[in-house]
Amino acid sequence: MGSLNEIVKQQQQSLTKPEENVSEDIVQLVGFIVGEEEFAVPILSIQEIIKPIEWTRVPFTPDYVLGVFNLRGNVLPLIDLRIKFGAAANEIDENTRFIVMKIKGEDVAFIIDRLTSALRIKKKNILPPPDTYSNEDDIIEGVGRMDDGRIITILKVDNLIKREDIVPNNEG
Amino acid sequence: MDEIQELLEDFLIEAFEMIEEMDQDLVELENSPDDLDLLNKIFRVAHTIKGSGSFLNFDKLTRLTHHMEAVLDKARKGELTITPEIMDVILESVDAMKGILEYIRDNGDDSAPEIDIEPIVVKLDAIVNGENAPKEEKSLEESKSEKPKIVGNINLDEITLENADEIDLDSLEPEELDAVLEHLVELRNKNEGPKKVGNINLDEITLENADEIDLDSLEPEEADAVLEHLVNLRNQQPKNENEQEKEESKESKEKKEEEKKEEKKEIAPAKKQDLSNEQKKKAVKKAISSVAEQTIRVDVKRLDQLMNLIGELVLAKNRLIKIYNDVEERYEGEKFLEELNQVVSSISIVTTDLQIAVMKTRMLPIGKVFNKFPRLVRDLSRELGKKVKLIIEGEDTELDKSIIEEIGDPLVHMIRNSVDHGIEPPEERKAKGKPEEGTVWLRAYNEGNMIVIEIKDDGKGMDPEMLKKKAIEKGIITESEAANMSDKEAFMLIFKPGFSTAAKVTSVSGRGVGMDVVKTNIEKLNGIIEVDSIPGQGTTFKLKIPLTLAIIQALLVASQEDLFAVPLSNVIETVRIVEEDIYTIEGKSVLKLREEVLPLVNMADIFEIEKVLEPEKYLYVVILGLGATKIGLIVDRFIGQEEIVIKSLGEFLKGLPGIAGATIRGDGRVTLIIDVGSLMRLAKETHNKKIVTESLNEAKKKKEKPSDYTVMLVDDSAMDRKIMRNALEELGINLIEAKDGVEALQLLKSNDVDAMLIDIEMPRMDGYTLAQEIRKYNKYRKLPLIAVTSRTTKADRVRGVEVGMNEYITKPYTAEYLQNVVRRNLGL
Repeated sequence: MGSLNEIVKQQQQSLTKPEENVSEDIVQLVGFIVGEEEFAVPILSIQEIIKPIEWTRVPFTPDYVLGVFNLRGNVLPLIDLRIKFGAAANEIDENTRFIVMKIKGEDVAFIIDRLTSALRIKKKNILPPPDTYSNEDDIIEGVGRMDDGRIITILKVDNLIKREDIVPNNEG
Repeated sequence: MDEIQELLEDFLIEAFEMIEEMDQDLVELENSPDDLDLLNKIFRVAHTIKGSGSFLNFDKLTRLTHHMEAVLDKARKGELTITPEIMDVILESVDAMKGILEYIRDNGDDSAPEIDIEPIVVKLDAIVNGENAPKEEKSLEESKSEKPKIVGNINLDEITLENADEIDLDSLEPEELDAVLEHLVELRNKNEGPKKVGNINLDEITLENADEIDLDSLEPEEADAVLEHLVNLRNQQPKNENEQEKEESKESKEKKEEEKKEEKKEIAPAKKQDLSNEQKKKAVKKAISSVAEQTIRVDVKRLDQLMNLIGELVLAKNRLIKIYNDVEERYEGEKFLEELNQVVSSISIVTTDLQIAVMKTRMLPIGKVFNKFPRLVRDLSRELGKKVKLIIEGEDTELDKSIIEEIGDPLVHMIRNSVDHGIEPPEERKAKGKPEEGTVWLRAYNEGNMIVIEIKDDGKGMDPEMLKKKAIEKGIITESEAANMSDKEAFMLIFKPGFSTAAKVTSVSGRGVGMDVVKTNIEKLNGIIEVDSIPGQGTTFKLKIPLTLAIIQALLVASQEDLFAVPLSNVIETVRIVEEDIYTIEGKSVLKLREEVLPLVNMADIFEIEKVLEPEKYLYVVILGLGATKIGLIVDRFIGQEEIVIKSLGEFLKGLPGIAGATIRGDGRVTLIIDVGSLMRLAKETHNKKIVTESLNEAKKKKEKPSDYTVMLVDDSAMDRKIMRNALEELGINLIEAKDGVEALQLLKSNDVDAMLIDIEMPRMDGYTLAQEIRKYNKYRKLPLIAVTSRTTKADRVRGVEVGMNEYITKPYTAEYLQNVVRRNLGL
């Protein structure tokens, strides 16, 4: 048993090692448009991308919390990134998608206007957010410069929403 | 090894259960010391634990139970009366047993270095030797506190059986004499085992001649005793060695393991020459578990998983029913409907039964929790110097396991509270003309979908005025709030954080945390607390708790466009009223319902829902009850009663005011579940600032002249739209145009539309689908939809009615006819 386990382990190591090397300098991202701007999040933080479905409003939440919806039996919160970023909410059209991401172990869906593409970007091309950016909530991981000259804002998924901003503290 | 592990687990589970039962039985025994059945039962438990313990080589446990058993045996034979002092010692040894068992559970052996059984053993032996008297208690207590056993001028440890003759007994004080004798008897006992079981004289059996015994010919009881005896013999040798040579203790562990093997080898041939170890273990296991043949133990995780699956099944069932209803409308009269109906109903019945069955497997009698309270009350009353009797009723009432686990702590707090604050000291009770002994009742019974736990005492009761005064002093409420408070509300003050009525802080309660915890815990279970108290006569607490947490019955209501599920256990009734039934008193809206005056709040105001519906003649009111408070909640529609499965809103949204969670309905949509307790608090705030009659009319639109009205024309042909526009412009109403269903829906959301003319054949979204979509919204339920089409068959018309069209106009039409239809629908 033990020896078999070791072999399996070795195999796994040899399988994962080259990938680790790759991921050291290349980051895989998914790009999308919210409002006028292109954003990206690490591909690994995305659980799934779905077409818009009906949601239920939830009272006493900030306006960027649109409500909750049913994803195969689970109740997920739905966040409108446009409102969150201070723009007006867009009409939902055929390009609109819900991106489901895991934040602190919980699935949360975000409305985005349109997906652009999967991106591979070298780590050295990601710069820290410039001081001129309003990055109060620390939601920006960095700014990526693509080979074609596009500038993409990379989001810090874990900081996109915070419980204390949504549910007032004095209420249990 | 696995089998031993299994055996050990079985032993532990059983031992813990038995000890818990024993605890309760012992307290009961104290009240009726002559109950022989009870004594026998307790004795048997001690004996079983001793037997299984010794088989598993738990020397310490065995030694303790052995001495305890001796006391019980004596009591059983009528040679000893159980006094409270003796009971203290027995209970102490039960506690030590618990401690050792817990140590075994965590560490696998019974060395339990923190538990010193010797002082207890000494006390137990003293009792066996009939030297226990209230006086004795003191000296024993002393000997417990000082480590070397010194009584008077004598160091007992120096006395052995060998040098006993040298002591001059005449020169001793009576107290010293007692102790010395006791000590000697104890030394003697160490060398003596039980003597005779059945026809066997155990003293004749030694390890050497064990082979000669024919175990098959023995009665089970005898066989047990013989085995036990042999094990004891085996164990005695190393024990003595240990005492003499303490340095060898490291090796002794290894020795024990060796012994284990040896012991098995030694006893096994005694039974049959080549009887395997496994068989023997099985035999023992059988003996241990023979009591519980009809039950199996199941991991709680499996039951939880099962319950989750059932929850999903219930949701799927709801969905199936919904789909069936849709299909039924569309294919009325078709043959397959009958069959489908049968399948759907049978699935729904089976699901319900299954749910009940699984719920029942998770149910435990509340006695499981109640069991520990006799002991608690006994210890407390002795500590506080009060006389308190605990009467337990309804311990067979069953509750979900998860609730049973949660309910223990709050109940401990409440019982403590009753004994500490409720029941007066004996002198005070006497002075008041009450019996010296106070009584606390602990009662459980079912009431509908709830279980009620009642904690009642006949103590001093609570004075609402005093409570208010205290609360004002502590800054919990203001004077004006206090003035408006009913007695019942005043009683609820004791659940406020930081409120404690005990003048003196005892070790038991009075730090002002307990009752606050109770309330939080009960609310977590969606429960209700009711308090009633009469000064001088006592206090009654009622905890009402839903039977199960996962699946509940709910009333579905709509407030404007939004649906909410209200737990049915908090719905007292539903009524339909007209605006004239609402009274405004001092700027607050109330509803007079029969003899009661209830505060009335619009649900849309509580949740700050935008009002889009025009007020109707009738208003629908849900009367909600929680604790002592009742309110009327205005909703816009009753949807119906449904079984719902509670789901959390997740880490980010849970704990929102007024919302307990969410459920997924038959149509796949999410509906929020009301948290009644929290909603009541919100409603109180809303009630103070919003007058219902005003809020109801917020959505009323003022429309007098034709230009106040807007009609939407939906047609993909620009020419057809033009024809309609030409015909209707004469009326002086506003007209907006859409070229297909999708555009129409968008325009509808951003415009205040009073009627729609809809073509059927359109790209992207046709007229039927458009009508269907529009009717999904509550606020467009009454919006006139007029189909204007060249499709003239009867089937088309029927379809139009089905999807919710109000009228059906076929092209071509005259301008006059169209005007009439629109005018009629707008009410012009």
